[in-house]
Parts: sequence; structure tokens; C-alpha cells
Amino acid sequence: MPPALEASGVTKRFGAVVALNDARLTVGRGEVHALLGANGCGKSTLCKIIAGTVARDDGEIRVAGEARALASPRAAEAAGIALYYQELSLVPQLTVAENVFLGHEPRGFGGFVDETTLNDRTDLLIGRFAGVAGEGFTARTRVSDLSPDQRQITEILKVLARKPRLIIFDEATAALDRRQVDVFFSIMKDLRAEGISSIFISHRLDEVFRVADRITVMRNGATVADFATAETTPEAIVREMVGDVRLGPKGGTAAPAEAAEIRLSVEGVTGGRLQGVSFAARRGEILGLGGLQGQGQKRLLAGLFGADPFTGGRVLLDGEPVAPRRPADAIAAGFGLVSGDRARDAAFPGRSILENAAMASLVRDKARLILLGPLRSRFSRTLSGLKTRYAGLNAPIGSLSGGNQQKIFIARWLAARPSVLLLDDPTKGIDLGAKADFFAIVRALAGTGATILIYSSEDADLLSLCHRVLVFNGGRITADLTGSTLDAMALTRAAYGEAA
Amino acid sequence: MATLLDGRLWLITLTALLVLVGVNAALQPNFLEPSVLQSNLTTFLPLVLVAIGQTYVVLAGDIDLSVGAVVALVNVTTVSVIAALGGDSQSVLAGLAAGIGVGIACGLVNGFFVAVLRFQPIVTTFATSIVFAGLALRILPDAGLPVPEAYWRGYAGGLFGVPTVVLVLAAALVTIAVVGRRPFFTRLRAVGGQRTAAFQTGLSVGRLRIAAYVLSAVFAALASLCLTGETASGDPLMGQTLALSSISAVVLGGTALAGGVGGPFGSLLGALVLGMIGNVIFFAGLPFEYQTLVQGLIVLAALAGGVLVARR
Ligand SMILES: Nc1ncnc2c1ncn2[C@@H]1O[C@H](COP(=O)(O)OP(=O)(O)OP(=O)(O)O)[C@@H](O)[C@H]1O
Ligand SMILES: [Mg+2]
Repeated sequence: MPPALEASGVTKRFGAVVALNDARLTVGRGEVHALLGANGCGKSTLCKIIAGTVARDDGEIRVAGEARALASPRAAEAAGIALYYQELSLVPQLTVAENVFLGHEPRGFGGFVDETTLNDRTDLLIGRFAGVAGEGFTARTRVSDLSPDQRQITEILKVLARKPRLIIFDEATAALDRRQVDVFFSIMKDLRAEGISSIFISHRLDEVFRVADRITVMRNGATVADFATAETTPEAIVREMVGDVRLGPKGGTAAPAEAAEIRLSVEGVTGGRLQGVSFAARRGEILGLGGLQGQGQKRLLAGLFGADPFTGGRVLLDGEPVAPRRPADAIAAGFGLVSGDRARDAAFPGRSILENAAMASLVRDKARLILLGPLRSRFSRTLSGLKTRYAGLNAPIGSLSGGNQQKIFIARWLAARPSVLLLDDPTKGIDLGAKADFFAIVRALAGTGATILIYSSEDADLLSLCHRVLVFNGGRITADLTGSTLDAMALTRAAYGEAA
Repeated sequence: MATLLDGRLWLITLTALLVLVGVNAALQPNFLEPSVLQSNLTTFLPLVLVAIGQTYVVLAGDIDLSVGAVVALVNVTTVSVIAALGGDSQSVLAGLAAGIGVGIACGLVNGFFVAVLRFQPIVTTFATSIVFAGLALRILPDAGLPVPEAYWRGYAGGLFGVPTVVLVLAAALVTIAVVGRRPFFTRLRAVGGQRTAAFQTGLSVGRLRIAAYVLSAVFAALASLCLTGETASGDPLMGQTLALSSISAVVLGGTALAGGVGGPFGSLLGALVLGMIGNVIFFAGLPFEYQTLVQGLIVLAALAGGVLVARR
């Protein structure tokens, strides 16, 4: 009998970013197959290609032995494939039942939606999570009123309701508590007993070793290993996930002296995922915030920048308490932020390079009158040091590549001279050359005494740039790595918790 | 309060309508007489119909600024076809059919540009509205071309003692109820609520959006046929204010302009509220110019209310 799924040589690029260059995956019938790999290695992209939401550039996919194009979600569904979307595919305005059966509404007399059956069947499905589903979770509840774990359960039920032969669970357990995970695993066992195959993605290695029959490991868009669970160990898996990382040139700036004064001290801050985070950073220090995605790192940066104020704890800058309620306060106090989500957080699209570069200084100086001449001469000097090629300072920001845009955004802060610069996944989607230039600018800034806090979804960035890395897990700092303890293995182990 | 009203914002609109009816009845003693009610309904019906159609487009997360121009184009097509075929009762039927056909075609054009070519809905339907209005002027450059007596008499009269306008309203209500209970309606709200999720779920997002534009244009065509029954002649400038009024009615009826939330019944109430405001101002002896001002303020209040409920 041919395997349930056989994908080989799958490739996919998003603009300049290579998401997949050689992904392979073979899933046997009735098998629970775990797909593992670091953040950003391409797992979700591969899943979306299999589920028909993303078109592959190249590669072959066979479902039950038959080659398939999988050109749309409908085509994938017709082939018996259903995907649990990591970022969920729910419509908040609809009820749980309407979401679970969207596109498959039970019909009664005259083709009308049979509301009673719809809600009864959904309540029956919710019943699988009886006792652990939490308050106020019925077929008729609006999805916007659900808690994050209840939404995940709804997405699980939605996938099950489609009665597929191959289910892909992309981080379906991320927000579930222990008892909910137990129910989920018993459902997976039932599916296996019915001969339904499943692909299971999780960053929790203990879970993977509990349920998976086989494990495929991906790294940087390619499949690097395939094991039977019984014949491998968590250590071996982590080694495959990390690979032999070649580190970029380390430093350029010496680590700040032990004697350098404390610039930023954070004491027990809470809010969102943050469960009381404390640390101190010195002048000139480049401090990394590591760990898996979504462990509170971004929340910490948003809190420090006043975009999403903390609910508890306090922050001292050069010994003085600061509590920014909005970004303008934070900028006035001496914070700066460069975000990797340029479109959302940084760019003034359609405006010139000069205006984009000058914005932070203008806010900081509380400029009332802008003289273009002096502004131009001030910034042409800063920008010429960036190795950025541009048609002219008046060219729109959108005419630059992502990496060059990012250099302009950091240039904002070169001129505004912040005491603490926050970098939120700043290298997202930029190429290696631009990344090296960008790092050089960051090091130069640190050399002038600025403290840098950087969160990156890529461990390699942290390893090549940071003096010290704080590893986040579940909204707490679980490890503080520096000097000889700071390497790829240690970082991955700390991120995945004690399981590794 | 917020939970009670959750998804039932039209309850507020209904309350407002009842208050307006009460005030109007106090100011105009014969307001509740059947003939007066019928003449009011005749005045309000076109906006009611256009607003119902507009709701489907708004629910899908789009907007249709061309409905006013569709009304004009359908009007001139219908009167021209009737005149060309000689004006007997068969030609009236042919004219009605041609009008509806033109409506469907307009909806398909809008849907094609917005859902297939992915043009911006606001700009696209503004542009098509200019094209449709231009076509209307091309077909009938000057107002005129009266329709046969059978047409306007039929519209002013009734069937088995029930006025035609009441029958049209009843048919619209039945259509709302039927459409609202089909999977189509849920899917449409899904497309407007979270388009990516709708696509990932395997819904035919493009086809649903086109269907909404066709529904909107068909309701606009019906409104045009009603208006033609009222004015009894062709007018290439007919219905010019209907596009924006219909959007006001949709907002008043509790449908979110962002898509996904609300329904056509609320818009029906919203359209009646807008009409009643005009009545009350007239009978209160206020200058007519206040009508637009008050309508504008009420729409603003409805938007503010929607924002407050959404923030809670
Ligand atoms: N729509 C998109 N446009 C541009 N880049 C994208 C897009 N989707 C994914 N990428 C990029 O492709 C790469 C792989 O992303 P993907 O989401 O598949 O990773 P992943 O392995 O699922 O990571 P995680 O464990 O964080 O979920 C990343 O570099 C990501 O930034
Ligand atoms: Mg993913």
C-alpha cells in the first residue's frame, strides 16, 4: 500500500526569502508523524503547500500514491487533507458551530441550514473536551468571546469535522493546558486506530516523544533527517535541528567591562505573557532575548517602548524610574525601536527616504519647524555611512529593498542617540549582506555606550551579535547565557526546556 | 447590556423607529390611516430595497457605490424597452425583465472587477457608477417617455385588496428570511469577517463576493422599477442620492462596515428611520434643510454607538 503522503523536492520562495529549498516528507497510513525544526525553518510553509493554501514553486506531492497539484484548499480537501492552521483559520464574528461546519453546513428541508443539527453536532464534538474546555464554550458562543485555548480547541474540532484521511496539526497544542493536551492526544490515538494519518508539529519535545511514531527534522527549509521515534533520542533530534552552525564573525566590539554602569534595570515586570521578568543591562551591552517564539520577548519590548504598557513591576533607566504609557514617552525618555515588521511598525510608505530617516529625531527634538536644507545635510552624512544605495534622499522608501529599508530605520536612531535601542526581530526577511551591514551599525551604536536589546526569531543572529542572551520560556527568563556558556546547543536546549 | 445587544444592534434601530412613529403620529393625526401609511411606504420603499441589497455587499467586506447609477440605468432601459415594443401589457413585462437583466449585468461587472481582478471596491464601484450613469444618459438623454397606464396603476393599486407596495415589502422580507437561512449567508459573513480564514477553509471567496454584488444590483433594479411606477416616466438622473443613503441605512441598521456582522433586516429598519426623520421634520414645521443635517448626525451617532459596542 502506498504511503498516505509523499512529498519530495518541495521548494518555495517568498520574494528574496527562501522558505523551502528541499523539503521531503513521507507519512505512512495511520501514522502519527512529527515534523520538527527551529522557528522559521519552513514547517508551516510546507503544511500550507500540502493543504493547498500556498502554491509550491517546485516538487512533487503524492497522496495515497497519486500525484496531486493541490492548487487550492478545495483541491486539498477533495484529496482528504485538512490542516489545523498555526495562526488559526477561524472567523471571530461567527459562532463556534458556524466555524466548525463552515462550508459543510448540515442542510435540512429545502437546502436551508439545519441549525439544530449544526449546533447539536458541534456540542457533541465539544463534548470530547468535557470538563477541560473551560467556561462559556458552547456551539452558539461567538468565537471572538472565546479564550485562546478554546479557540485552539475550536480549530481542532473544525479539522475533525471535515473527516479527512490526513490531518496536519500545526502547533495545535501551543496554548492548551496539560489536561487539554491529554484529551487531544486521546483523539489522535483514536484517529490512528481508524487508519487516519496525522502530521504533528510542536516545539515541546516531550509531547513529540509521547505520541509520534516517526519524526522528520527540518532545518533552513530542507529536510535533514527522518527517524523512527523508538530509535532516537531528544539529544539526537536537537543536534539535527541545530546542525553545525557556522557562527558569523563574533564581536567587533569588546564585551562591556564588568564595571560599566547599569543602564537599564527591569524589575518583575508583568503583562500579557510576562510572568515577572527581571534583569539588568549595562552601558554598551548587546543583550539578546532568546527562546522559542511567543514566550514574552516581543511583549517585553512593546512594554519598554510604551506601545503596550506593563501591568506590574518597574523599569529604571540610569537609576530613574520610567513608565512610558505610549511610544512618544519612551522616545522622550531615551528608548528607540526597530521592528522587523516594517510595514506595520516602521515605514511611512510613500514618503521619502529622508523623511523616514529623520522621523525619530524630529519627535525627539519636538521639532515645530522643519528646514529641509539643514536636515538634508545632517542626514546625508549619516546615511552615506550605511553602504545603502539609493537614487536620492527624496526617493520613496518603498524603492529600497527590505534590508536597505531596515538600515534607514536604524539610521533614525543613529541620529537620535537613544540610550536603549530595542530591536524586534530586525533581520526578518533581509539577506545576508544587508544583515552583516546592519549588525555592524548595531555594534557601532553599542560602542558609543547605547544598550541594545534584541529579540530575533533566528538563534544564529543572537549568537553572532550578542554579549549575553536571556532565554525566555512561558513568560519567564529560564536561562542567562554568556561567554563560554553561549552556543547554539545551549541556546536550543534552554529554549526547549528540560526535555532536551 | 452589551451581551444582550450582541448581534442584535437592530433592536436599537427598531426602538428609534417606534419613537419616530410615535412622534409622527402625534404631529400628524391621520398618520396611521391606511392610505397615508401606503403613501409613506411608497416613498420609503426604494431606499429600503437598495439598502437590503447593499447589506450583502457590506457583509462580505466590500461596498457598492454604484447602486444609484444602477437605478437610473434600469429605469431608462425599462421605459425605453416598453416604448420600443409599443406599450401593451406584454411590452411592460418585457421592460421589467430587461430592467432586472440590466441589474444582473451591472452586478456581474462590479463583481468581476472587485473579486476577480481584485480592484479596490470603493474606487471601482465609484468608477462603474460613472459608467452606468453615462450609459443611462446615452440611452435617454432627457427625462420623459411616460410608461403605460397599466404600469403605474398596477403599482399604485393592489392585488386581492393588498396594496402592491405592501406585497413588494413582503416579498423583500421573505427574500431576506430565505437568504438568511441558507449556507450562503454564513459563508458571506465569513468572507467579510476574515477573508484569509474563509479562503483557507475552502470557500469560493470570489464567487461569494460576486454573488453579493449581483444581489445588490438586483435589489437596486427592483427599487428602480418601484420608482418608475411612482414617477411613471424615464429619468436618467434618477436615484442619485441612493448610494450614500443606502450605506447610511446599513450603518443605522447595525451592520459593521468592516464586514461580517449584521444583516439586511437591520438595514430595512435603518432605511425606514431615515425616511421617518424626513416626515417628522416636515410635520414639526422645521425647515426642510434640517432633514439632511439631522440624518447626518444620526448616522454619526450610529457609527459612534457601533464603535462603543465594539470596544467594550
Ligand atoms: N507569506 C510570507 N511572505 C514572506 N515570507 C514568508 C511568508 N510565509 C513564511 N515566510 C518566511 O518563510 C520562512 C519559513 O516560515 P514558516 O512559517 O514556514 O516557518 P515555521 O517552521 O513554521 O516556523 P515556526 O516554528 O515559527 O512556526 C520564514 O523565514 C518566514 O519569514
Ligand atoms: Mg509555523
